[in-house]
Amino acid sequence: MSAASAAGQALTARLTPAQRRASALVKLSALALLLIVWHFVTVTEIVSPFFLPKPADVLRNFIRIVGSGQAWPDLKVTLFEFAIAGPIALVAGGLVGFLVSLTRYGARVFEPIISSVYAIPIIIFYPISVMALGIGPESKIAHGALFGFFPICLNTIQGFSRVDPLLIRLAHSTGASQRQLFWRIMLPAAAPTILSGVRLGLMLCFLAIIGGETIASIEGIGHRVVWYAEGMQTGNMFAYIVFVVLVAVIMNAALSLLEFRKGRS
Amino acid sequence: MTPLSFRSPPPWVSRALVILLLLVLWEILGRMGSQLFFSPLSMVATSGVTIFADREVLEALRTTAWILAIGFGLSVCIGLVLGLAVAMSRFTYQTFLPVLLLLYAIPQITVLPIFVLYFGSGPASKIAFGVSHGLFPIAVSVVAGVQGIKPLLVTSAISMGATRWQIFRRITLPYLAPSLFTGMRLASTATLLGVLLAELYVSSGGVGHFTRRFGESFQPDKLYALIAALSLMAILINETMRMLERRFSRWT
Amino acid sequence: MTNETGRGAMAETLIKVEDVSHVFPAPDGGGEVIALEGIDIEIGRGEMVSLIGPSGCGKSTLLNVIGGMIAPSQGAALIGGARVRGPRPKEVAYIFQESALLPWATILDNIKVSLEFQKAPRATRDQVAREALKAVGLDAFATSYPHQLSGGMKQRAALARALSLRTDVLLMDEPFAALDEQTRMIFSEDLSRLLANERKTILLVTHSLAEAVFLSDRIFVFTSRPGRIKAVLEVDEPHPRSPAFMTSPKFNDLRNRLYELLRDEVLAAIGKDRQGLA
Repeated sequence: MSAASAAGQALTARLTPAQRRASALVKLSALALLLIVWHFVTVTEIVSPFFLPKPADVLRNFIRIVGSGQAWPDLKVTLFEFAIAGPIALVAGGLVGFLVSLTRYGARVFEPIISSVYAIPIIIFYPISVMALGIGPESKIAHGALFGFFPICLNTIQGFSRVDPLLIRLAHSTGASQRQLFWRIMLPAAAPTILSGVRLGLMLCFLAIIGGETIASIEGIGHRVVWYAEGMQTGNMFAYIVFVVLVAVIMNAALSLLEFRKGRS
Repeated sequence: MTPLSFRSPPPWVSRALVILLLLVLWEILGRMGSQLFFSPLSMVATSGVTIFADREVLEALRTTAWILAIGFGLSVCIGLVLGLAVAMSRFTYQTFLPVLLLLYAIPQITVLPIFVLYFGSGPASKIAFGVSHGLFPIAVSVVAGVQGIKPLLVTSAISMGATRWQIFRRITLPYLAPSLFTGMRLASTATLLGVLLAELYVSSGGVGHFTRRFGESFQPDKLYALIAALSLMAILINETMRMLERRFSRWT
Repeated sequence: MTNETGRGAMAETLIKVEDVSHVFPAPDGGGEVIALEGIDIEIGRGEMVSLIGPSGCGKSTLLNVIGGMIAPSQGAALIGGARVRGPRPKEVAYIFQESALLPWATILDNIKVSLEFQKAPRATRDQVAREALKAVGLDAFATSYPHQLSGGMKQRAALARALSLRTDVLLMDEPFAALDEQTRMIFSEDLSRLLANERKTILLVTHSLAEAVFLSDRIFVFTSRPGRIKAVLEVDEPHPRSPAFMTSPKFNDLRNRLYELLRDEVLAAIGKDRQGLA
């Protein structure tokens, strides 16, 4: 027992079993309270159903939208856009990152430029995409690919530049060829950083596509939310938002899984 | 790597050359390609002068700037309070951090129509949407900052008779300053993103509205000029924040 | 229990530990760990006492009970006859294994902040802090930041901070553990000189036999967990002690006796771990 555990507790230190139970209870009761309040204010119509539909209605609409396959055509469009934009972001980001990292000097010249551009909210380029490519899938693909490019590229540069020089010296001392150096040392050492960039980049790409659909589109799951909103169908809009959030959460979980697996091997 | 036969100039010189090359490329490609979607740099620059003389555009810039300022200010205040509340104790940390991260993970863009439904199409919804983007990076950075405090520093302070307030004032606050500035840098970009998203969506004023208008009426020179100005502004804000961040983390 | 108490019992008693036992929940979740069992000791004013024993024997826990940082499951510690119920910043100062200096503040500001914590009068803080730095030979580094100092200098700064609090009692929890051998020697000599000059009562938790013998008036040897006091050794040698003391027959004799006492306990502690592995 060190003195540290006596008074200044680390935030990450384990809770006692009793505290863990209390913690779960607080979370559950907060959720329950939220639902109860939501139900109460809507059932009594303190809040107009136009602003906030009843939780039961949202659930019913959600089941109808998902169950009837009504959401499928829009989801297909969005996934199609992602299926093209994602790989473009991946290949372009990885390739540029790799080329820039070929020399330490290249990384020092280009990395600040790329990270500065990344500070720009990329959404402001979207009107260019729409102007040049129209409001169909093409503009979303371009926008998504651009959004996904940056984290992938930056993490690739960072991954390669932070390979322990000792490992490289070790490889040289054993007479490894350039090819062996890359495949056996550089890539495995940089992989975790690159993969977390890939996860973030693909997720941002997906969200950028939904964002593009929300702002200017005629189809896709992002557009459908707007469509319901403009049609004043608040009940359907809420249900559909739940659906889109769920899709995004599943996408995020799927991408995290990839990083987790690859990162360990 | 391979020894170079000449001495390479310092990186910033090459960097400037690269940027110059890109600008030249912009000019050449602009002159070669279709003038419908793309404009050479020279034209964009001259349009830039005209649009920024335009009263309407200036008004829009001013609107966006103050919406951004309010949104950012609110993000910092709310995010700081939220982060400190979550990091207040081991119990609150382990109970509410997962909730915070869950909320952060929700793609805000999907709830944008709800913001418009509740806050209308005026500045309020833009501010609120900006805050919804800026809030989380701050809160999460603050939590991470407090989490990094060495327990021994607190133990030592307690042994010397420090009160809770003194521990907060003398240990927690200075310790989390660098993280707070990191959070503020991320939040400034995120808030701008949120505000522009809302402006593009409701399209009732502000710079976002004008980019959309110039795009839809096929005026690439004006569109590019506006975007270039916005980009410069974003980079400037980011670099200022980065400088502050470095200033406050000299001891780390 | 072989009791060889001598001088310590003669002096005016400052610290009293009465039948202290401490139990805490096992870190792996199940069950409890008995850290201390039935500790009864008295320490005189101006005495220098070492607590030595195998890892996990509860010596740091005992230190924290005396410092008011841990409330014992049973029994109590008393300082100057008053029961310890919490931190006693006016009477007790700590030195930890790490310096615990605020990294963003200069050495001087660190000490001034400590004096603020202790509620020392504002007007005197600067002067007190500078005097303390002078006492440990760090006055030239008042405006340096902790990361600019070596490990030994940081511990010296921590010592200055503890001295500036002007407490009767100094609790040292393995203060030399992170230092290299040469630095430890110099530090020990300094500490011995300090003992000769000021009548501080010091409790030192250490793993080093040589350190314990060189610095202490009395050495409390702990058993392996649950920690009890196995023996008390007395070192009858006036402070300040010179490096020559370290090569004397008396020193070697004491060191060997200490080693004999500890050997079984360390073996027992390791044996327990081995069983745990099997």
